[in-house]
Amino acid sequence: MGLKDDLDRFREVGEQRREDLAEFIQYGELGASGRDDVRIPIKIVDLPAFEYDKLDQGGVGQGEGAQPGDPVGQPQPQPGDGDEEGDPGEESGEHEYYEMDPEEFAEELDEELGLDLDPKGKRVIEEKEGPYTDMTRSGPNSTLDFERMFKEGLKRKMAMDFDEAYLKEVLKVDGVGPQTAFEWARGESIPVSKAWLVDAYSKIPDDEKTTWASMEEMAGNVDREPIQAKIQREGIKHVPFRREDERYRHPEIIEEKEKNVVVVNIRDVSGSMREKKRELVERVFTPLDWYLTGKYDNAEFVYIAHDAEAWQVEREEFFGIRSGGGTKISSAYELAQALLEEYPWSEWNRYVFAAGDSENSSNDTEENVIPLMEQIPANLHAYVETQPTGTAINATHAEEVQSHFGDSDNVAVAYVSGPEDVTDAIYDILSTEDDSE
Amino acid sequence: MSEKDRFNKQRIAGELEEPVEEARNLALKLGLVPYDVNYWVVDYDEMNELIAYGGFQHRYPHWRWGMQYDRQQKQGQYAGGKAFEIVNNDDPAHAFLQESNTIADQKAVITHVEAHSDFFANNEWFQLFGEGADAAAMLERHANAISAYMSDPDVERAAVERWIDNALVLEDNIDQHEPYAPVETEDGGDEVAVDDEVKDKLADLDLSEEVRRQVFDEEFLADDDDEPVSFPPTPEKDVLGFLRRHGKRFDEDAGRAMEMTEWQTDVLDMLRAEAYYFAPQKMTKVMNEGWAAYWESLMMTDEGFAGADEFLNYADHMARVLGSPGLNPYKLGMEMWEYVENRANRREVLERLLRVEGVTWRNLDDVVDFDAVLGTLEPPEALASITPESLGALDDVSDEYVDADALAAAKAGDVDVEQYPWKVLTTDGLARRHFSLVKRGNRTFLSRATQSELEQIGRYLFDDARYGSVEAALEDVDYSAGWERMREIRQSHNDVTFLDEFLTQEFVDANDYFTYEFSHATGQNRVASVDATDVKKKLLLQFTNFGKPTIAVYDGNFDNRNELLLGHQYNGVMLDVKQAKQVLERVFELWGRPVNLLTIVKELSDHDREVARRRNKEPEPSEQGKRFRFDGEEFEEFDVPWEQVSHLAADDVDYDTKPEEWLA
Repeated sequence: MGLKDDLDRFREVGEQRREDLAEFIQYGELGASGRDDVRIPIKIVDLPAFEYDKLDQGGVGQGEGAQPGDPVGQPQPQPGDGDEEGDPGEESGEHEYYEMDPEEFAEELDEELGLDLDPKGKRVIEEKEGPYTDMTRSGPNSTLDFERMFKEGLKRKMAMDFDEAYLKEVLKVDGVGPQTAFEWARGESIPVSKAWLVDAYSKIPDDEKTTWASMEEMAGNVDREPIQAKIQREGIKHVPFRREDERYRHPEIIEEKEKNVVVVNIRDVSGSMREKKRELVERVFTPLDWYLTGKYDNAEFVYIAHDAEAWQVEREEFFGIRSGGGTKISSAYELAQALLEEYPWSEWNRYVFAAGDSENSSNDTEENVIPLMEQIPANLHAYVETQPTGTAINATHAEEVQSHFGDSDNVAVAYVSGPEDVTDAIYDILSTEDDSE
Repeated sequence: MSEKDRFNKQRIAGELEEPVEEARNLALKLGLVPYDVNYWVVDYDEMNELIAYGGFQHRYPHWRWGMQYDRQQKQGQYAGGKAFEIVNNDDPAHAFLQESNTIADQKAVITHVEAHSDFFANNEWFQLFGEGADAAAMLERHANAISAYMSDPDVERAAVERWIDNALVLEDNIDQHEPYAPVETEDGGDEVAVDDEVKDKLADLDLSEEVRRQVFDEEFLADDDDEPVSFPPTPEKDVLGFLRRHGKRFDEDAGRAMEMTEWQTDVLDMLRAEAYYFAPQKMTKVMNEGWAAYWESLMMTDEGFAGADEFLNYADHMARVLGSPGLNPYKLGMEMWEYVENRANRREVLERLLRVEGVTWRNLDDVVDFDAVLGTLEPPEALASITPESLGALDDVSDEYVDADALAAAKAGDVDVEQYPWKVLTTDGLARRHFSLVKRGNRTFLSRATQSELEQIGRYLFDDARYGSVEAALEDVDYSAGWERMREIRQSHNDVTFLDEFLTQEFVDANDYFTYEFSHATGQNRVASVDATDVKKKLLLQFTNFGKPTIAVYDGNFDNRNELLLGHQYNGVMLDVKQAKQVLERVFELWGRPVNLLTIVKELSDHDREVARRRNKEPEPSEQGKRFRFDGEEFEEFDVPWEQVSHLAADDVDYDTKPEEWLA
């Protein structure tokens, strides 16, 4: 007990209370996170209470020259916010975040959406020693497989050992000499040598050489003891090691394939892509980026913005750009094709995600984009149509792509008309990928 | 604690002995009557722990302290771990000083603490918890008891934590205006009362013993469910106490309500006591912090309690405390106290002036030379500036201002006048020395009195022709009027009454306050009003009932089915319905049977919003009575006719400050 304990409990409670992942992707604030650091707001930091509806409550602010009707920025901290002994500078309403890395994010998303993308490694980056499972007949002493050698020796001993007492009794049968006993033993598969029998026979006193009248009488009076029982009773005095039983362990050579991925994010930045559409693209693309970063060892990203022309941009500016101009989606795919030359298909997993409101210049989709999509080998091509304002007449890109590729296993088309569709779109895209490769 | 740490703390404690003693002497001289204060020197980590624990060393195990600690630590990293004061409402009070603070910070904290201690000792709301309550000991007792329940192998720790959460959810749902009293354990008191009543009635019927025995046997009496029994007789605001008295727990295995176990009632009792203990602090935050900031400033700055070399440090500290963004209780409170002081002093002066021959409330502005008045009100030089050399001049000052014994001692060199000049003055002398109306920044306050204020004072004066001249009138000014008024108010008021009484247009204008409301048409908060009445309304909403909606128990046998009915006393601002439902889920756990909440919500359709937007107007929401019912599994929501909720709706308040033509 004590504060340390309370802190641990808070962390646990905080994890339980962090914003539901799907809700976070759909409505949450994505901006607090970086590419490698996903920060999910903790939904309820404190316990619920009977409170006023914040919007209905209004508030009091301070500022010179305020006129009724002027917009007020962020609600100002109000007295009574925070706790009784809180310090005066306390910024209330501050978010607490639960931080996770992309790996955890991918795992959670798998769980949340029921995905099971298992990325494949492609580029061989090194040959490395695997487990010591191969065997050779020579090697350094430290790699000698002693266990194996002992087992072999034991097997040999068991094969060579025999019930000496019994054989001595055999020699005491009237009329049985070393030669007869040897022949009998051979018939019984007892591994005894002639020399041993001669030696043993010579040590038997003459009056005992006729103890038994016949083999039958002897067998009826003497118990034969199996060799296992003898070992159990007497223990092993020594195990015969043989050079030929020596084996040395040797490491397996395995090829390590790095799971690397290149993700091309393409976005229509033309005039028809207004704020809401832009935000929806961000909500789809950002979690996809995190997810693939988490799934692959090495993830690289290429960002392409286009209107009638396409150009490469940095991630920071990608979601913010707006331009005027028309729209020609094929321009982006041409650029993507060129840029992907740096990432050969034999070594890289490739994802090409494009998003826009489906508007395209006439015939561009059919004549240019679809052939390019077919030419660019990729694990997955996806088009995300964002159209919060309803269907425009010339917005047919998504439809055309979908009807051309049908239920293809490496082309996905998703429609997002509001934040609530975002997780479905992500699921559609990630569950489309061809698993047979 | 290592030896080194201990010696370090001892050394710091040694350095602080004199400031502590002299701050107390000064506080007493200024007319404060604080509880004794025990000061403790703590290190940075200990300070953070204390802050997390709400100012005490031992609290029951709970993740919430961990959360506050976490927050505190993160803040400390950015803010550089600067000092704040912690003082407990207790007799004696306990205060904590952080060892790494500068001596200027320590002195600021000490003077601040002395004023808080005075507030604890004298504000009536703090007396509701009962006198002589040893808070630290109580909280430690609770901590131990709850820890013991958590370690009890028969009780699951998680169950105890959950139970604590249930109670904390309702920690503000107490009757904070009533004195605290522990829940009285009654052994089926209600039932007994009913039985007795029935028995009495039976006796009245004058039945034969035989009939009585055969028909109205014990079984009948025990089974008497015919009459619906509604309780409580009047709505009960102490929801936590009501649930403690009449609540049950829901037993998952049995699938029904069962009596609470002993540890459960015990935990509820403890947390309810804590809720009552902390309530006055929440009810007087602005007043209390303002009070402390006011006296701290007077002692540190005006009386030079911070040495000249420490003063910059202190000014910086003060600027940070008062300069933090938004409406901060230190700043608001301190400004209001200064306003109270100035107002009382102005009234005192005006009352004198209006009794001067030939001066009336109509002509006062014209016939009185305010600069000359202010000149007269200035403290005599002998009081204003006291040095070992100027002590002789005090012989000519009125006796009431001078502490004769101290002056004699000072002359003999036994009092360090250089450092503690106030020692040779009386409380009245200090009031004269610090008379607010002549301070820089307040010098126009007197002449700013409005006609209506003058009229109000003038009309109620009885003998208005007592003085022959302004000078004679000013002779009689009671310079303690401001401080006296402040002390009266700190005794009887809480934040709500304080703001209600003293937040004026003058104050609102001087501080650029405005109200804002959410505009559904624009989807934004917009400035709604700069009118003092409106600002006051909004502020009062934030302070009344801890800034939370008032919820009371309306029926403990709702529908005659043992369901609980809570009512939200609707003041025009609707509930956060989502949270309210979460609370109901917790209430269910303390009631064990279905729970209901009756409220009024504002409904606004997208269509209404759209129409309003087009017309550039605010949409007018419709008010609808609602009852939410939670049966342990799911919620039901019923629209109820207005007649059934009209008793909840207050028609004498209106917290809406939106103007008519707002968005035009």
